[in-house]
Amino acid sequence: MMGLGDAIMALVGPILEMIAPLMPGDIFPYFFSWDYFQRPLIAAVMVTIVAGILGCYLLIQHLALMGDGLAHVAFGGVAIGIVLGATAPVSYALVFSIAASILIHEMQYREMLTGDASIAIFLTGMLALGLVVLRLGGGAITTDIEAYLFGSLYMINESDLDLISFVCIGSVIVLAFIRNGLLACAIDPVSARVQGIPVRTIGLMFSVTTAAVVVVMVQVVGTLLVTALLVTPAATAQLISRSFRQCILWTQAFGFSSVILGIYFSAEYDTGGGSMIALVAAIIFAVVAISKVTINAFIKADDNLN
Amino acid sequence: MESVVVGDINSENDVILNVNKISVKRSGKQVLKDVDFKIKRGEFVGLVGPNGSGKSTLLLTILGELTSQQGSVSIYGLQPTSNRLYGKIGWVAQAASNLPKDIRITVRELVRLGTVNGKNMFRFSDGGRRKRVNKAIKMVGLEDEQYTDVARLSGGQRQRAVIARALASECEFILLDEPLVGIDREARNTLLKLLDNLCHEGGKTILMVSHDLAAMRQTAHRMIFLEQTIKFDGMSNEFPDLVKLAKLRGIGNVHSIYDMEEE
Repeated sequence: MMGLGDAIMALVGPILEMIAPLMPGDIFPYFFSWDYFQRPLIAAVMVTIVAGILGCYLLIQHLALMGDGLAHVAFGGVAIGIVLGATAPVSYALVFSIAASILIHEMQYREMLTGDASIAIFLTGMLALGLVVLRLGGGAITTDIEAYLFGSLYMINESDLDLISFVCIGSVIVLAFIRNGLLACAIDPVSARVQGIPVRTIGLMFSVTTAAVVVVMVQVVGTLLVTALLVTPAATAQLISRSFRQCILWTQAFGFSSVILGIYFSAEYDTGGGSMIALVAAIIFAVVAISKVTINAFIKADDNLN
Repeated sequence: MESVVVGDINSENDVILNVNKISVKRSGKQVLKDVDFKIKRGEFVGLVGPNGSGKSTLLLTILGELTSQQGSVSIYGLQPTSNRLYGKIGWVAQAASNLPKDIRITVRELVRLGTVNGKNMFRFSDGGRRKRVNKAIKMVGLEDEQYTDVARLSGGQRQRAVIARALASECEFILLDEPLVGIDREARNTLLKLLDNLCHEGGKTILMVSHDLAAMRQTAHRMIFLEQTIKFDGMSNEFPDLVKLAKLRGIGNVHSIYDMEEE
């Protein structure tokens, strides 16, 4: 991971500085010109790109709540890491979250666990474990832990950005390689197996990727808001897309708009970054959904007239 | 009972599927008992039987998704899970369950998935897959709908799209589970015509599960009536009438069969 974040900063930084004067607002331009603020911007954009792609695949598998569940596990891992006095509790979150995702995948594969409800039970159990360990270890809900609940976008430091870059780039590479097989497995696992697609391996790779991305998302938007970036842009895209390809492209458009607008409003009105991004994503969903219903109603009315 | 061999008896090499006295239990319940039959290349076999008679279980056992407690299944002389079978079998799952309506995917995207296998899935180049997709879409007559979202298709079109996906894998042996459910009469006839063509002109071997006795009698060469065990296996035109069938099933009440045909 050595300096991967710095490398990206060195690459993107000058471009951001170039467009900084064009940016509106009093504080927002600093996100383009000052490297302390460039870091969260770059982190948020990278995470959103990967989360959007994952979200499209999660939705077709009806696993919208998977991200939320894994975020809870990650939080449990962070809590345990803090009790054990770890300097980087995120590494505990990574281990916990990946272990949980492998366990869920194997249990689903053996049909021991099906449906959202049982995933929720399993994962909240892990969160509860983390909280109990935290209390037993003498810890308390400190600002440190709050940062993982609600995100700490503007506190991302160099080593955080290294981890985020590493996970995001790694995930995009993995997803690019398995994309055909993944879609085939999601639509019909039996046909996929009969065609010779390694269904189980692909499922495992996807689960581990999701778990890793969720952990870095916890840093950006916080445990409670992971679903906002993972599922909301993809769900918005589903409303207006006609194909899977369109769905992926629109997800990127909505995700990107949510991040940029979210950071803009958060900077200008001095609110938390993650929560504002999540709010903007939800508003975009609402606007698109209402427009769609309205347009459909007009089309129907037209049809009735003719 | 002995299975009836249709057509001229060639070498054993022509046997594509050999189901050898299998018994399958699911959640402690005996679903299949001593089921024994063979399917030869180019046959169109209709597998019929009432609800819960084990038809889907039989298909899943043939596909290697379920394992039998007794007996064995071999396809092209291989175990169902053998990797040498990859791409030889096409699976068309039950209409109601195979495509959720809330996902966005076009006919073309769906059919293209049929060309993906363990070897080419990582590749970025198309590698001639486009041709196979075009051919499969043309075979099922969905050229005009190829860029349409699958959720917007009618039941019959959707079923044809899923068949095209199987065809794109260039499989030789197609298994279909209840493809006639939930589609209207016209779509049903189009679909049966398509399957008939695939068998006679495309050289495919077909095993199709259906409730629809009339449709199967009209299209399949051979019919197997399954109700835990095989109660009838023979040419479609020799398929027993309702009264005889009731006797074969060991029941005197004809109405239950009428009910079955209505479904």
